[in-house]
Amino acid sequence: MSEDPAMPASARLVGAHVPLIDGVEKVSGRAEYTADLAHRDALVGRIFRSPYSHAKITRLDVTDALALPGVAAIVTGEDCDVPFGVLPIAQNEYPLARDRVRYRGEPVAAVAAIDETVAEAALRLIRMEVEELPAYYDPEKARMPGAVELHADRPGNLERDVHHEFGDVEAGFAAADIVLEKVYDCAEVTHVQMEPDVSLAEYDAERDRLTLHTCTQVPYYVHLRVAQCLGMDTSRVRVVKPYVGGGFGHRSETLNFEIIACILARAARAKVRLKLSREETFVTHRGRPATRIKLKIGMIKDGRMTACACETLQAGGAYGGYGIVTILYSGALLNAIYDIPAVKFDGYRVYTNTPPCGAMRGHGTVNVRFAFESLLDQMADELGLDPFEVRRRNLLEAPVRTINDMMVESYGLPQCLDWVEEASGWKARRGNLPKGKGLGLACSHYVSGAAKPVHWTGEPHAVVNLKLDFDGGVTILTGTADIGQGSSTVLAQIVGEVLGLDLDRVSVVANDSRITPKDNGSYSSRVTFMVGNAAIEAAEKLKGILAEAAARKLDAKAEDIECLGEIYRVQGGQDPGLPFQEVVDEALAESGTITVKGTFTVPRSHQGGRYRGAGVGPSMAYSYAAVATEVTVDEDTGRVTVDKVWVAHDCGFAINRLACEGQIQGAVWMGLGQALSEETRYHKGLPLGPNMFDYRVPTIVESPDIEVKIVESIDPNGPFGAKEASEGALAAVIPALANAVADAIGLRMDETPVTPDRVIDAILRKERGRGRKRSAA
Amino acid sequence: MEYMPEFSVVRPATVAEAVAMRAADPEARFVAGGTDLVPNIRRGIVAPAKVIDLNGLEEIRKIESVDGGLRIGAAVTLAELIEDGRLRADYTGIVEAAGAVAATSHRQVGTVGGNLCLDTRCLFYNQSEWWRRSNDYCLKSRGDVCHVAPKGDHCFAAFSGDLAPALMVLGAAAEIASPSGGRIIPLTGMYQDDGLAYLLLGADEMLVAVRVPAPADGFKTGYAKSRVRGAIDFPLAGVAVGLRRDADAVVDLSVALTGTNSMPLMIEGTDALTGAPPDDAMLARLDGLVRDRIQPMSSTFSPPGYRRRVVAKLTRSLIRRLYREG
Repeated sequence: MSEDPAMPASARLVGAHVPLIDGVEKVSGRAEYTADLAHRDALVGRIFRSPYSHAKITRLDVTDALALPGVAAIVTGEDCDVPFGVLPIAQNEYPLARDRVRYRGEPVAAVAAIDETVAEAALRLIRMEVEELPAYYDPEKARMPGAVELHADRPGNLERDVHHEFGDVEAGFAAADIVLEKVYDCAEVTHVQMEPDVSLAEYDAERDRLTLHTCTQVPYYVHLRVAQCLGMDTSRVRVVKPYVGGGFGHRSETLNFEIIACILARAARAKVRLKLSREETFVTHRGRPATRIKLKIGMIKDGRMTACACETLQAGGAYGGYGIVTILYSGALLNAIYDIPAVKFDGYRVYTNTPPCGAMRGHGTVNVRFAFESLLDQMADELGLDPFEVRRRNLLEAPVRTINDMMVESYGLPQCLDWVEEASGWKARRGNLPKGKGLGLACSHYVSGAAKPVHWTGEPHAVVNLKLDFDGGVTILTGTADIGQGSSTVLAQIVGEVLGLDLDRVSVVANDSRITPKDNGSYSSRVTFMVGNAAIEAAEKLKGILAEAAARKLDAKAEDIECLGEIYRVQGGQDPGLPFQEVVDEALAESGTITVKGTFTVPRSHQGGRYRGAGVGPSMAYSYAAVATEVTVDEDTGRVTVDKVWVAHDCGFAINRLACEGQIQGAVWMGLGQALSEETRYHKGLPLGPNMFDYRVPTIVESPDIEVKIVESIDPNGPFGAKEASEGALAAVIPALANAVADAIGLRMDETPVTPDRVIDAILRKERGRGRKRSAA
Repeated sequence: MEYMPEFSVVRPATVAEAVAMRAADPEARFVAGGTDLVPNIRRGIVAPAKVIDLNGLEEIRKIESVDGGLRIGAAVTLAELIEDGRLRADYTGIVEAAGAVAATSHRQVGTVGGNLCLDTRCLFYNQSEWWRRSNDYCLKSRGDVCHVAPKGDHCFAAFSGDLAPALMVLGAAAEIASPSGGRIIPLTGMYQDDGLAYLLLGADEMLVAVRVPAPADGFKTGYAKSRVRGAIDFPLAGVAVGLRRDADAVVDLSVALTGTNSMPLMIEGTDALTGAPPDDAMLARLDGLVRDRIQPMSSTFSPPGYRRRVVAKLTRSLIRRLYREG
């Protein structure tokens, strides 16, 4: 690695542009993803899925299928009566449906066979008889009186309603000069990570042990759920996460196919490979729910907000999943970005007969942020205020505890706004662009790890082990799931930095439950912050041991030892010092192989308030982003072209600038997908575009020039000041685009995605409105 | 996308062999680039036991200058079409249409014949076997109901090839081979407006080439396509225009459409619009001609009303562009 002359010697590794340490394996094709693992001796697994949206299963007959030569095992709901679900309070899903199916595509049975052809033939021999029930695809209909309950304990199909009010909202609206209320609709979207779902499960019948290789963000949760559903002691289960081709939240909970692969492997007493098609991956879903948001904001003439009331309705799909967390996030993160004196939130998470929704990049906050930043922009417009000025009037002053009990200690949003305003040439260009072109601004934020873990065990929130042996190599043992975001690289940088070592002296071993310490997983942008802090603690401990060893050798005190890269010497001394390997030899002479552990726990002070639902939203640090987009709108075709995006993201401190920039660009790109063209629609519960052709992820043709600015507010609690760097910017992209469209053609798009037909509809509505006015006059 | 099922592949060396193979086994499917057929096989939409691979037929893999015009072999790839100097010089509309098909990698293998014979498409048809079975299939394949128009008995799957209209405005002819000889018909005669049976080709017939006459001096052609993304997507609507300008008047005008019906449409009656510049009056009359012919249905993600509107807008702007250039 070349030295960056701009970096001080004390920060050689962190803050640098460091290519991902597993990048070579990925670009050369050597990296083995789950589907690449040896499977010649594995049976082929296939899932029989419900063709019905909502039905009681009256008969399921697998006799003929099981009799087919080459079929090793068939499992059904009979084989597992233990429900699962990521939240211990909402486990209402079985890996294979029992008694009732609640969405089209729900797994009902699974086959293990010697090859694809036999497996396919077996699926066709499975007989399912049902008594169909009314199905609800629209949450309003699911809530109607008399609607059949999807789950017995949920009247009105309401999974969870949330009612929070902080401050005096009515007084706030009364004090406002202008109060606007609007309804926004966001279509359901899904992750479309590159790697389709796949598991390889091997059951060792002689020893009653199970090994699962799977493409997950949360190997620990998978471990727990698999053991629970199979009724096996956790010590008999081993979970390994190979290379993973993206997640974006799809894999932040245990998914049905992972448990099914294990049930099949045990039933067949063999190794089973269960590889889902792209369509099945779409049906497994867990993405962002279709959301209707009724938002009301009060503002005084200078742009200061006085109150906000938000009602959010989410079509959650058929099972709990992360649903409760999603609806809570939608309310909690109305706060911690602006200083709003009074905020009311009413949230409704409703069960529908569609594949379950879940966590997706910017979990719970994205659609509400679209509504909020759109309405803010419109109100600025109506008051004749500049969009930047309106946001500046409402900034927080850190450190601050928000009205809903969240601690904000670093806050780089003002710097983000300043840069975006300058870089986009906002002042000179807005309002002076040619016809059909517009500029739009929006802001967003996100947590750096949920302060409360999903499973409350009392354990530290993160653990990292370091091993130093005779070879002088430092091995990081971590359960952190690198799913492409670069967590392994960041941990190597942190450990190398603290110890003053070259990066290639550090190796990372990640994600084998037999070797690596438990980690809660890669979600809510927790890893850099929490695991990074644990890694610092571990590396400091190791450094202390090495300093003592060096002190013994040099006949000095440990506190007088300084580490200059790979040389240890007495501070200020003239001697050449000890090379690293000699220090290692001395340290090992005392104790043999050294292992140290670092941990991290979010203190109680940052874990939020004591009201119901207070556990979701609190984080030890929040990232901030400001995004400006420049668009061209073709009023003939309704097509919106994004010409340029400026994005400033306050990630506290960029431990890896290259990775941060990539993550921020990725967030922009994913946000543009939801803004422009991505949506899942259903025909009687069947997804209309369950493939990468009809589900329109933007192509490179749609990708604009993205100018990224990293703002470093140096968070007092983050590792080297770092905080979240991947999810935060996404939410702002969508309203920034809608606001730019409004600037370009004077029309507010209240629905996502902003597809050409929706733009044309808006234009036609306006034309008809004008026509009516004319005829009235 | 599901796993590829087993099927046998035969590789004829000549066109005569190919059509003989098809005559002997009418259920067998021709394949060249496979960009249309292979996804349909993997989705279980079609399940041929035998596939006739046309890639060895050198005689239909070339572009020849014939009688001042061109004879374009059916197995010529879209990429070859785009790169051909003769086409780039005099047949801009074809090059623009070929360049609007899918994305770069598809165009490397996708062929002229494949695009002209492209199976009609519908949201309810281009889905997996599990999906279609759960939806009781559809009129186009194994079912009794068209989910786009449930009360009718007609299939409304949309013809979605980009090349056909661009060739039609040039008056192209289709060269068709069969064991009993062959025939040459106007390209427009190869189609009918029925999503189920959109091609008027016999079971033993094969499109081997298109013959494109040389355009008259000053005859400009172009192609415009509506789609949500700038690549990959099939046309929500596509329009090809051929136009000749003399002084301040359009003197020749041909318009053909794709994506709006189950066949590519040649708009009739455009001769009556010539003799004037493409002003609002002329374009409004053209809108009328187009409106009368097109019938976009809910066979795509984008609603029919949008496609109806956009085809008129695309046509207008393309005519204005060619007029300006002319």
